[in-house]
Amino acid sequence: MAKPQTPVDLADPALYQRGIPHEAFAEIQAAPGLLWNAIDSDPDDGFWAVTRHADVVEVSRDPATYSSAAGHIQIYDIDPDALEARASMIDMDPPRHTRLRRLVSAAFTPRHVLDHRDAIQDRVDRALDAMVAAGSGDWVDIVAKPIPISVISDMMGVPPEDHDYMIELSDHLVAGTSNEPLEASAYGNTTELRLLPFNSPAAHGINEYARQLGEQRRREPKDDLVTKLINAEVDGERLTDNEFTNFFRLMIFAGNETTRGSMAHLALHLHQFPHEFARVRSDHSLLESAAEEVIRYSSPILYFRRTATRDVTLSGTPIRAGDKVVMWYSAANFDESIFPGPLRFDVDRPLRPPNVAFGGSGPHFCLGASLARLELTILIKEILNRDLKVEVIGEPHFVPSNFVNGIENLQVRVG
Amino acid sequence: MPEDELVPMAIDDDLCIGVGQCELLEPEVFRLDDDEGRAHLINDGRLPRDRAETVVDKCPSGAISIRPTT
Repeated sequence: MAKPQTPVDLADPALYQRGIPHEAFAEIQAAPGLLWNAIDSDPDDGFWAVTRHADVVEVSRDPATYSSAAGHIQIYDIDPDALEARASMIDMDPPRHTRLRRLVSAAFTPRHVLDHRDAIQDRVDRALDAMVAAGSGDWVDIVAKPIPISVISDMMGVPPEDHDYMIELSDHLVAGTSNEPLEASAYGNTTELRLLPFNSPAAHGINEYARQLGEQRRREPKDDLVTKLINAEVDGERLTDNEFTNFFRLMIFAGNETTRGSMAHLALHLHQFPHEFARVRSDHSLLESAAEEVIRYSSPILYFRRTATRDVTLSGTPIRAGDKVVMWYSAANFDESIFPGPLRFDVDRPLRPPNVAFGGSGPHFCLGASLARLELTILIKEILNRDLKVEVIGEPHFVPSNFVNGIENLQVRVG
Repeated sequence: MPEDELVPMAIDDDLCIGVGQCELLEPEVFRLDDDEGRAHLINDGRLPRDRAETVVDKCPSGAISIRPTT
């Protein structure tokens, strides 16, 4: 029996050139059951497009059925040896996932991220000072990029003089999910690209950096996450070189690219919905829900994929063991059955049911959620305290990717 | 009153990934271990039923439940 097909190819980066394709997602959400998205017109390759909020939550909370290890967590398949080489906890299921996550999870709880409040405030102040001094310029470069990267780099133990290098490298990693390749030998890379995360030579750059930093911390321990990782033991064994570098890379990428995306979109929201932020300015109790609305509306990670480990029925559609199942967080966050008037930016939306920008439920719920929320809240609060007007004066350039909802360049004028 | 009835909480160690929403909501009942990043019950581990249900709902990994008292 033929599987009902998606009306568009959700894997095509071009679909995201103007941000989230709301119409296409709404059409898919309205269809009964799940729709199948063929990949590259291959009759044997494709994925189930999960777009409704309830379905995304159901998939995310059942790792035994919807595995992160049985196949890659991105849409395209990669060879098992390539998967093995790049695997971090994001590519694993419990119990191995849980053991790795616990090595760092204490640092990211709501209570512990407050330890970074002053440092975050300092970074926010510096970024906004620079933006005001410039009067106009690229919000992404001056505000959205430096704040998250400096915060996660500090936590990892990357010194300030190397923060720009982290930005450069992770920018290239994301480019690996779009259509803009680097030279294979960039960053001194000699490894086959298919064995590198995102097939990007920038991954080699990050791995090398991680190794060197790890060596330094082995000799001179400090109170940072690299020191914790380099000394950690799981099942009585130290992390292998691969496990360590993959962990480092995961932290740098995840703690950087995503929050940057929400902070970049914040400028668009300030420009498009000034009346909403005026409400927050006169009532700071709305800060939490305002930050959450920025996150919902921007959905910095568009999707993650799982692989069915058994035959299962979801939303009335039979899924076969081995099928790819893709959770479109960016669609679920605009599910009108959960978020009435989903395209309305509302700083006072109820916080329950929660948006799924952080991954819905289950063991892979975003490690950095509390940190991201704190960074964004401090930035919004400071913008409002300074009574800054942010005006977008150029067309936003969205990162051409089916994976992240990033903005590459956003010309603004502030006053 | 039923809503004030105190119910005992339970944490599934295998599911807990140390997100910390429980501790944020109910710091008198849940505490995250600094080294292991795992939640533990403290004091008498009980909450009024309606607050218990909120914490159960809020845990992203579904590790928290109300312990059956039969």
